[in-house]
Amino acid sequence: MIPTSYCKPWPRCCHNAMKIDLSQFRQTFLLESADHIASMETGLLHLRSAPDDAELLNSIFRSAHSIKGGAGSFGMKNLAQFTHSLENLLDRMRSLEMKATDEVIGVLLRSIDVLRNLLDADADAAMPADALKLIECIAALMHVESTQAAAVPEDSHQQDSPEPAANAREVNLYKVEFRPDRELFSSGTNPIVLLRNLAAMGTVSCCHLHAEELPTLADLDAEQCYLSWSVELASVCAEAELREVFEFVEHLAEIRISRSVAPPQPSSAPAQSSTAAAKLAERSASDDQLAIIERRKSPVDDRRQSAVVDRRQLSAKTTAGGESGSIRVAIDKVDRLIDLVGELVIAHVMTAQMVEDFEPSCLPKLREAVAAMERNTRELHERVMAVRMLPVGTLFQKYTRTVYDIAQSTGKQIRLELRGEDTEIDKSMLELLGDPMTHLVRNAADHGIEAPEVRLAAGKPAEGVIKLNAFHRAGRIVIEGSDDGAGIDTEVVRRKAIERGLIGSEAQLSNEQLNMLIFEPGFSTKTEISDLSGRGVGMDVVKRNVQQMNGTVNLISEKGRGSTVTIELPLTLAILEGLLVRVGDRTLVLPLLSVIETVPLRDDKIVRLAEKGEVVVIREESIPLLRLTRFLGLTKEAASAGISARENGNRRLAVIVEAGRRKVGLVVDELLGQQQVVVKSLERNLHRIGGLMGATILGDGRVAPIVDVTGLGALDLFSLQVPVNNSQQVAPPAQSVRAAKTTERNRGGTAHELV
Amino acid sequence: MRKILIVDDSVSMRQMVGFTLRQGGYEVIEAEHGQDALNKLAAVMVDLILTDLNMPVMDGITLIRNVRKQPALKSKPILMLTTEGLAAKKEEGKAAGATGWIVKPFDPDKLLQTLAKVLP
Repeated sequence: MIPTSYCKPWPRCCHNAMKIDLSQFRQTFLLESADHIASMETGLLHLRSAPDDAELLNSIFRSAHSIKGGAGSFGMKNLAQFTHSLENLLDRMRSLEMKATDEVIGVLLRSIDVLRNLLDADADAAMPADALKLIECIAALMHVESTQAAAVPEDSHQQDSPEPAANAREVNLYKVEFRPDRELFSSGTNPIVLLRNLAAMGTVSCCHLHAEELPTLADLDAEQCYLSWSVELASVCAEAELREVFEFVEHLAEIRISRSVAPPQPSSAPAQSSTAAAKLAERSASDDQLAIIERRKSPVDDRRQSAVVDRRQLSAKTTAGGESGSIRVAIDKVDRLIDLVGELVIAHVMTAQMVEDFEPSCLPKLREAVAAMERNTRELHERVMAVRMLPVGTLFQKYTRTVYDIAQSTGKQIRLELRGEDTEIDKSMLELLGDPMTHLVRNAADHGIEAPEVRLAAGKPAEGVIKLNAFHRAGRIVIEGSDDGAGIDTEVVRRKAIERGLIGSEAQLSNEQLNMLIFEPGFSTKTEISDLSGRGVGMDVVKRNVQQMNGTVNLISEKGRGSTVTIELPLTLAILEGLLVRVGDRTLVLPLLSVIETVPLRDDKIVRLAEKGEVVVIREESIPLLRLTRFLGLTKEAASAGISARENGNRRLAVIVEAGRRKVGLVVDELLGQQQVVVKSLERNLHRIGGLMGATILGDGRVAPIVDVTGLGALDLFSLQVPVNNSQQVAPPAQSVRAAKTTERNRGGTAHELV
Repeated sequence: MRKILIVDDSVSMRQMVGFTLRQGGYEVIEAEHGQDALNKLAAVMVDLILTDLNMPVMDGITLIRNVRKQPALKSKPILMLTTEGLAAKKEEGKAAGATGWIVKPFDPDKLLQTLAKVLP
């Protein structure tokens, strides 16, 4: 706040009417603070193993300090107050007055969570209870640790500093003596500026320059100040205001201000503060009145008020949306993009030129130019996608904290090992991965790793290890989470699955199949629910989220040895290397990565299992067949369109794909080729259609659906459930084909809407 | 137009201060930390330096000391951005040769007033 009673603005301040709106920088501040908080968290976790690392402490302190500075500037009082107390604690640690004990780090880590909340909180809201509690905690810590017991805020003087004399509006005659030290210039101070500012405070009647101390020229040091001044001026300003002119040189000068005419009213400090108190009381009284009025109006205004709230929520949402919608990109990536665009422009100009003066002999050249353009486009495509790529380490880092928290609350000893943090992954996938990974890590720490005594008894080291690893494999990203904990007890899983009606009591399942059951909705082997990872939901969410990204989850577990969950994801959600196939008169896209092979499909190779569907036998392996014509719900005419009677049925192909963990043969009429396709989401216009992951636009402008091959793996799941209905044993492949057909028919209708 | 060098590691702070100064009719140069500031000062003459104290690489106090050592910059006004509660830092800054200080939380009007107070 600017004191309202400056008798006159500072000379250069003729723009004081201008209102400077800083809210536009709030977003930057929020993003920056979130970064600071994250790096504080990482720093604190590192501090556990290096409690004396001065540079680490310094950087944590700097982060808190920066947040505090900005918070104050944006009027986020709570955040400012909270970081202030945090900063005090960190400062103590930095000056080695306090040690980074586990307790202190614990409190600091909890503060991190509070900081995050405060960052999102409404600036006008009251200080949340957990924040207040932590402030007390911090004060207590500092009280105990410090001999001075000084948890008193050091800034108490701040509030009352520039409060001027309230009603001394009479003109006073002042005599101001200004005697700078010789060293005045060393602070970059220009005494003329000070005098000019002083003069601006009133009307100068007399100004004396005292040059008595000025030495002879031979002895004169031009960098020293030998002069002093005395000024007489008439001003309506209080003495304190005049003194403020010399605020910055108080330590470098002797300043004496005397009043030649006594003020009519003494403006002593107590009098001021009582006026201030009176004013405050007055204001709060009027606030109360306002409140009463509002309360009276409230029945009528309820709706309007809620409308206001709605709008505020809406705008809050928009801001939040804006936040998640932004992305930071390394400059070299952008530079490369600009280079590529440059090349593309050149290629275009060249092509255009050739088309302009076209003659048949130019054709090879033109082809070449188009090929160059294609190369450029492809590379541009890749580079643009790379812009969206973020290192998976940003996600992994988060779990250091998760594991720490669980270890703290359960008394376990857990170490988290991270590998492949530099592996880059599409930003939107990284976001989608957050929840499933949290579930996995929590599960591993909470249910997987055993208590130290249990581990020792089992001949394992007391400290359990959770490993997260990310790497590329065959054009896909693999994320592996493993622990050396108790592993999954398949017997418990079986019991539970029977209890929940997921499998029949007689079902014969392999250990692997049993393990996969924990990915079923509502399945949890832990009987008691912990406060950290406690939920019956969880693993099914993992599976669903991963499938949403066209990925797969796999679990390998051995009782007593630990579990490994492997998530495989495509590199990006937006582009896909596709195999174009024709089915009837339709063109479909199959993700090339899931295609294993293509075999000619003569009718005599198809084995029909009565009532159970068809399989094709390839190298002594029976692979269930899926007729895409039915899958798409094509009519007979449409299905046979484009096939002449001569080749009817005999030129068909089976594209063998990897659907989840099983092979499925998709029956197609023709392979049209392979190309990169841009995946367009269907959900924006249509609802999600089972079996399709989206659609793309072909070169000729037609829309082609993209088959969700991984989604076909859901048939697996279906087949597992069949025995429940039929109280039979687990389904052989053929039965799962029938199951597939049921789904197929169910889906046919919806798919038809699209095609 | 008067040129002011802002030294702060926080982007949002530089944005805010920069915006305020430009609104106030100043030309603004930005530096991320003390070393960056020294590099920029070697190439450009400014009328005033406005520096944060807590910064990586080279902090504000060291920057002030360095500036005061250079003949060409010796008498340059330097304002430091300090925070209430860190009185010791302020004293250190004063001793190093700061011309004045601005106490955060940052207030645009206060900044412009303070500038006017020290700019010749």
